[in-house]
Amino acid sequence: MSEAGVPAFPASKCPECSTLYGHPVHACRVCLSESTEPSPIDGHGTVYARTTIRIPGSDHRNEAPFEVAIVDVGRDETVRVTARIPGNPETAPGDPVAFLERRDGAFYFEAV
Amino acid sequence: MRPVSVAGTGTTAFGELDAGLKELGITAVSRALRSCAVEADEVDALYLGNFVAGALEGQEALAPLVADGVGLSGIPAMKTEGACASSGIAFRQAYRAIRTGEHDVVVAAGVERMTNAETAEFTRALGSAADRETEGATGLTFPGFYGLLLDRYMHEYGATREQIAAVSVKNRHNGVSNPRARFRSEITVDDVLDSRRVADPLRLYDCCPAADGGAAVVLAASDIAGELTAAPIRVLGSGHATGRSAAYRYDDLTTLEATTAAAESAYQQAGIGPDDVDVVELHDCFSPAEIGDSEDLGFFEKGEGAKAIVRGRTAVDGELPINPSGGLLAKGHPVGATGIGQIYEVCKQLRGNHENQVEGAEIGLAHNLGGSGAVSTVTVLGGPTNV
Repeated sequence: MSEAGVPAFPASKCPECSTLYGHPVHACRVCLSESTEPSPIDGHGTVYARTTIRIPGSDHRNEAPFEVAIVDVGRDETVRVTARIPGNPETAPGDPVAFLERRDGAFYFEAV
Repeated sequence: MRPVSVAGTGTTAFGELDAGLKELGITAVSRALRSCAVEADEVDALYLGNFVAGALEGQEALAPLVADGVGLSGIPAMKTEGACASSGIAFRQAYRAIRTGEHDVVVAAGVERMTNAETAEFTRALGSAADRETEGATGLTFPGFYGLLLDRYMHEYGATREQIAAVSVKNRHNGVSNPRARFRSEITVDDVLDSRRVADPLRLYDCCPAADGGAAVVLAASDIAGELTAAPIRVLGSGHATGRSAAYRYDDLTTLEATTAAAESAYQQAGIGPDDVDVVELHDCFSPAEIGDSEDLGFFEKGEGAKAIVRGRTAVDGELPINPSGGLLAKGHPVGATGIGQIYEVCKQLRGNHENQVEGAEIGLAHNLGGSGAVSTVTVLGGPTNV
């Protein structure tokens, strides 16, 4: 937990060149190191862009409508990730969000 | 490096067709072969673009199947895949094989069958062009990618939903006179804005329809092409580039770098700039895509593309006609066939016999895009006066 009860965001970092990643990588895009190490960052974020999926693919057939946003997360260091925003608050670019959890490979943030 | 020209072209209509996958491919290729004076034993290779036949139809090994179906067994035949840019890539590989001297005559084709699939299965299959491991897990769909892009574009440049809807209105208008188009009826801005929401802020009429279809061209070294047809179309430039693999990978989601990079290399090779282009077929899979593409291809400044549409600058009689065929929004998007379908339309313009003929068109550009801006091809073509 970081400040105000917002969980830290589970970023990862290249141990060789310190490049920070949100979504996990299989090799560092900068130095091609094959390993990364956990590097949690502040879980507060800002919406960069948002959509609400109303016609989903068959893998998510029973979940629609659901909100997906690109979020810039972190404070001193930031990463950009694609995430779910539960409850369909219809966020807009610039809106603040906070990290909730990572589940089944997807990041979840809530509108704040 | 030797010059390359399009000698023959062939296509099926795009739409909801009874024909099967293999038949669509065979029909398109045989029409292209018969449109010029090429003999089967002159064809050195076949490249076939296809995206979802494996997922939706359970059919692979398509290129040899189609080659054998048109009496071309024995030659190398292979499938190219780059999501919705699959046949733009097929064209480019065929072009390179001739340009570098390996082959003299090559067929490039594309084929797709989609309308028999259920919407959710179809959306899943198309979603396979996104990165399943990251964005796929969030449930982001293809319309969703362009919903994100449009949300950001409107935020950055103050474009309105009405301006974006004007793309669909223009392209549906152009499709009315194109017998190859799936949709042949007009729509209004209100029709777009009142249509069902798909992926906010995108609505149904912002989205191109699925379609079945096949398209093919016969490419030849220019000296040979001159013997095969009276109206060869010169390939002036060809670019192919990779971009970002997912929406979160963009620093600026309103600029798809695969397009800017492919365009830069195509323009450079052709020795022209965007101002020299007379007619364009670009990848309007969704209405905001046409706005962004028109800027990424250098036709308008960033943020100006939406205004250009509304002012009629890209209409058939405008200063730079974009998608006079009706584009993907009216023709339909049989994904693996789309890239060569665009080249077919541009060749028809440069030969001066298109249903929506752009007066005096001498240089045309075709732009094909696949995935989340993951891959793009740009082809610059020159009419008979440029050969």
